[in-house]
Amino acid sequence: MKAATFEYVRATSVDEVVRTLADDEDAKILAGGQSLVPLLNMRLARPTTIIDISRIDDLSYVRRANGHLEIGALTKHRVVETSELVHRHVPLLADALRYVGHVTIRNRGTIGGSIAHADPAAELPATCVALDAQLVVQGPRGQRVIAAADFFHGYLMTALDPEEVITELRVPVLAKGTGCAVEELARRSGDFALVAVFAAVTLELDGTCREARIAVAGAGPAPVRATAAEAILRGNAVTTDVITAAANAVADATDPPSDIHGPAEYRREMAAVLSRRAIKQATNRANGGV
Amino acid sequence: MTGKVTVTLKVNGRTFSADCEPRKTLADFLRQDLGFTGVHLGCEHGVCGACTISVDGSTARSCCMLAVQAEGTEVTTVEGLASDGNLHPLQEAFWKHHGLQCGFCTPGMLAAASELLEDNPDPTADEIREGISGNLCRCTGYQFIVDSVQDAAQHLRSTT
Amino acid sequence: MERRDFSFVALARPGAGRDKKTWEDTVVEQNAHEGLIGARVRRKEDLRLLTGRTQFVDDVQLSGMLEAAVLRSPVPHARIVSIDVSEALEHPGVYAVMTGAEVKEAVSSPQPVIWRMIPDQLIPDGYPLAVDKVRYVGQGVAAVAAKDRATAEDALELIDVEYEELPAVASLEDALAEDAPKLYEDWPSNVSGSTTIPKGDVAAAFADADVVVTESFRFARQTGAPLETRGVVATWDPYTSHLDIWLSTQSPNLARDLLGEVLGISVDKIRVRTPDVGGGFGNKFDFYGEEIVAAILSRSTGRSVKLIEDRMESFVANAHSREQKIDVELAATSDGAITGLRATVYAVLGGQLGTVGIGPCWTTAALMTGPYDIPNAELSVVGVMTNRSPYGSYRGWGQPKSNFVHERMVELLSRRIGMDAQEIRRKNFVPPDAFPYASPVFFYDSGRYADCLDLCEKSVEQAGWLERRDKARADGTAVGIGYSFHVEITAFGPSRILNMAGLQHAGFDEEVVRIDSTGHVTVYTGQSAMGQGVQTALAQVAAQSLGVALDDVTVVVGDTDTCPYTGYGTGASRAAAVGGGAVLTAATRLKEKVLRIAGQILEASPEDLVVQDGRVSVTGAPDKSISMAEIGDASYRRMNGLLPETESPTLEEREVFDPANVAFSYGCTAVLTEVDTETGEVRLLDYLIAHDCGTVINPLIVDGQLHGGAAQAIGGALYEELVYGDDGQIQTTTFMDYLIPTATEIPPFRLEHMATVADHIPGGFKGMGEGGTIGGGAAIAHSVEDALSDYGVSITSLPITPPRLLAAMRAGKDNG
Repeated sequence: MKAATFEYVRATSVDEVVRTLADDEDAKILAGGQSLVPLLNMRLARPTTIIDISRIDDLSYVRRANGHLEIGALTKHRVVETSELVHRHVPLLADALRYVGHVTIRNRGTIGGSIAHADPAAELPATCVALDAQLVVQGPRGQRVIAAADFFHGYLMTALDPEEVITELRVPVLAKGTGCAVEELARRSGDFALVAVFAAVTLELDGTCREARIAVAGAGPAPVRATAAEAILRGNAVTTDVITAAANAVADATDPPSDIHGPAEYRREMAAVLSRRAIKQATNRANGGV
Repeated sequence: MTGKVTVTLKVNGRTFSADCEPRKTLADFLRQDLGFTGVHLGCEHGVCGACTISVDGSTARSCCMLAVQAEGTEVTTVEGLASDGNLHPLQEAFWKHHGLQCGFCTPGMLAAASELLEDNPDPTADEIREGISGNLCRCTGYQFIVDSVQDAAQHLRSTT
Repeated sequence: MERRDFSFVALARPGAGRDKKTWEDTVVEQNAHEGLIGARVRRKEDLRLLTGRTQFVDDVQLSGMLEAAVLRSPVPHARIVSIDVSEALEHPGVYAVMTGAEVKEAVSSPQPVIWRMIPDQLIPDGYPLAVDKVRYVGQGVAAVAAKDRATAEDALELIDVEYEELPAVASLEDALAEDAPKLYEDWPSNVSGSTTIPKGDVAAAFADADVVVTESFRFARQTGAPLETRGVVATWDPYTSHLDIWLSTQSPNLARDLLGEVLGISVDKIRVRTPDVGGGFGNKFDFYGEEIVAAILSRSTGRSVKLIEDRMESFVANAHSREQKIDVELAATSDGAITGLRATVYAVLGGQLGTVGIGPCWTTAALMTGPYDIPNAELSVVGVMTNRSPYGSYRGWGQPKSNFVHERMVELLSRRIGMDAQEIRRKNFVPPDAFPYASPVFFYDSGRYADCLDLCEKSVEQAGWLERRDKARADGTAVGIGYSFHVEITAFGPSRILNMAGLQHAGFDEEVVRIDSTGHVTVYTGQSAMGQGVQTALAQVAAQSLGVALDDVTVVVGDTDTCPYTGYGTGASRAAAVGGGAVLTAATRLKEKVLRIAGQILEASPEDLVVQDGRVSVTGAPDKSISMAEIGDASYRRMNGLLPETESPTLEEREVFDPANVAFSYGCTAVLTEVDTETGEVRLLDYLIAHDCGTVINPLIVDGQLHGGAAQAIGGALYEELVYGDDGQIQTTTFMDYLIPTATEIPPFRLEHMATVADHIPGGFKGMGEGGTIGGGAAIAHSVEDALSDYGVSITSLPITPPRLLAAMRAGKDNG
């Protein structure tokens, strides 16, 4: 299990990354390496050139600006997970990151890397979709901003052009009165999810649901946003019946794969079970519970 | 064929410099080029945790890093855990509580446990289990590792 | 950016530092001069392991050494039409490329199958690399030796193999189907052989039975997956023919004999050394083709050749185990006496026979009556070839399946006749006064099974499990308690009986105990160290037998040129019992010589002497004494006037011990389990084993073995499965897919011990390396069934995965 040969470029600027990508269509970006290096070792990834972006300055930060958080693409999972700003303003993101592998992986894995890798069973893509996050990407024609909803196209496929690189994740700050919950079913601690549900519920003072955000990982070739379920919750008191209806709507929105760890039917059913739990817990938290 | 690159880094306080192919992982570089065979490779795909070391103060899986990525870093391997012939409290505790059998997972397990105790000096048994869950052990059934980490934590707390 | 300040060094900073004394004080009985057998002693192995100073096989570096890699078949069943290695040979850095046909030319015999318990079994010739035909995904086809492993892997991509694919026999059902494609065209079918183990009159038992319980069980393919993969470094001198080999093996002497057999050289020319071994679990007992490939590549290149299996390869090239289908019928009276057992074990073998052939599956049948006195039995085993990896050794060696069957049948009988399962166990146990007891194949030496069950039940009560279960159920949580009772065959021997059973090897053990000129002790053993603590255990036996401190004993393992011969190898839970027994006898005899010499020097009768902490003194006159160092000096160097004329110089004894019988350990496992009835997830809350392995040498090691064995049982019961698709492709070749439990999936363990000694083993030792693994599956299944008693779930296959359990819950509801 030794990687095939490749050229190595240590990029010092985003411009250099973009240029190198444009020059070599089989080049691949290396950030934290937690997904890529194993694929290299297995020779499942065979890039001609590895562009190491991990030394580019100024792409590691968490800051607040204009109603959202800006997170540099090279910010490590562990840094985001333990960030005060993230805990205060987008707790769903912190909750979700705790399920990404193990601490050792989160020490090196980067936000941009997880998003660009676009594993449909991974936590971060689905969380971005749930939160209506945006991705700032840079390419030869400059910068553009892509909504997470439009970013994930399919299994390991994204809206990124071959010569583009993610530079920043923008996550809208959640409204006051929002409770968040993550429910994940994995075979072992730290494994990729069979199914995971990410929910944020915002309540009016009278307890009716003002806003609901629900996305599912492991539910199809890309993260699934459960808009029908959100609509069922929105404007209603979050009763057991409403939760059940919404959870069933989540399951209906999924198109999960079958694999050795569980058939599609099981995953779909679990999407409903986990959604019920996640919505309930998010609602409790919105009400001030833990 | 691609050329070799020179990698310079500090391991256990000593500076090393050696040439290697860009495709070489940090684990292979440490083992083969620098002689730190306490770094063990159990899977080479980032699951078993046997190759866990400390890079610039945080644990990392050395099979999931290229050696070139470690340029200029400070690395600690299991060989650097004891100092001046004195075992680290975690090593003492693993010895006392039989926290190892074949010893293959042990270097990575010690690294993970060190970081855990730095973050959480008084972990519960469940927190220890969670904290070492990125490191597979096929021999011990983990109970004595948990006991070891708990005892080392207690010892570290009582001496700080 | 937030920065975290962590390092090993930070933890070891002064002040946070250690108080050396505190640690040493807390270690129990480390240097106790008496009672070392049975003392909870820190292991002698650990200092090197803890500080990274070990040498595993991949750490062996020899000058000019090459590294090899094996090209493996991507298809399950095909004829090899052609292999073109020319481009690989041209690749810079490549020294040699070898195909299966070339390897076959270079060997004297096919890969050995040492267990042949079915006399007319069809045993195909298997070679280290495939010749003409591949019969499983991952079978070696060619091998490359190059300047390093990466280059060798580069070259593998340049080898062009043309396959003519044949229909795959992907499963047991495929293999037994009418008109099934055959793996071996000249065989009548895919059945390698079958045999039946009879006892009593089983037909009459079933004819007279009040109750007959019938069930069929299914066990997934699993593997030991030691964290260190297998590896070899071979140096075969083309001029002297001397083969010097480093091998991560549990059986160096067996490996040496088999290397000689296959390579056609006498064993005096072969030296097998085992470096530190990163776990064996039976997988490293077996003898693999890679050993031969590395040797032949070494001879052809004139260089040392290292061949390390990587993790992905390990899932196809390492022994697979456990996979069986077992059809069972049990006859009983209405008051719970088991009168007959009839079973057929279908061994789902691979495309070739491994070193141990059908051995583990035969053992499943041979031990299927477990701890119960079942007067009539008919236990069959049918070996079936499939296009899967070869079947081989894994901790438990067939017994986890026997155990699952007899324990599940007891529970099913309990349901059928409405009698408590524990009462059925008690009623049918082999009673203490029936030992030695003739089971269908083996003689059970000793046991107090009912006492052990009582101990387990009492401990469960004391641990408060019953209240926990009641409270959880009141809260609507599905919590259950399950039990199983197991027996474990250990101390494998005696040699001639093993030969009669079909083993092409012996079962004795030879140990050498030497006191040197400084009075320190070295034990030379043919047993192998793989993390189980054999050095510490044998040192404890030697130290106590000789009356010296544990620190004064060194145990040398892992070199066939230096160490004596052990039959079989370090498997079948032999080392502590057979090795310990031999060391005890040798050391005891050596002590007699020490006392004779000391008696002469101290002018006292040997009977009046005592040895304590390395000092021989006269009883009642403690100032009249001599140190072991002085006796050592007198025996090796300055002997004139000290060493009696009647004594030869040196202090060494050698003992060959061929046990008269095996020794049976046993235990009772209890598990407290919670099931998430919506997801089918199983969480083990607590785990208890009451256990008896005769005289315990080191309780710390015994506890660790039970924990580790239980963790593998848990993996086997809930997580681990080598999955093959209908196309014969393996789908689990990483640790992402083959799910070894982490610390969060494994519960805390509680242990209870009792000791019923083995009278026929010096010291009364029994082995216990596999007990933790044997009883776990059934206990977990029973705990799940108990937790889901409302659902009428019946567990008939392992592993119990969440989707399968959810399906079983629905089937149970539908049925009742």
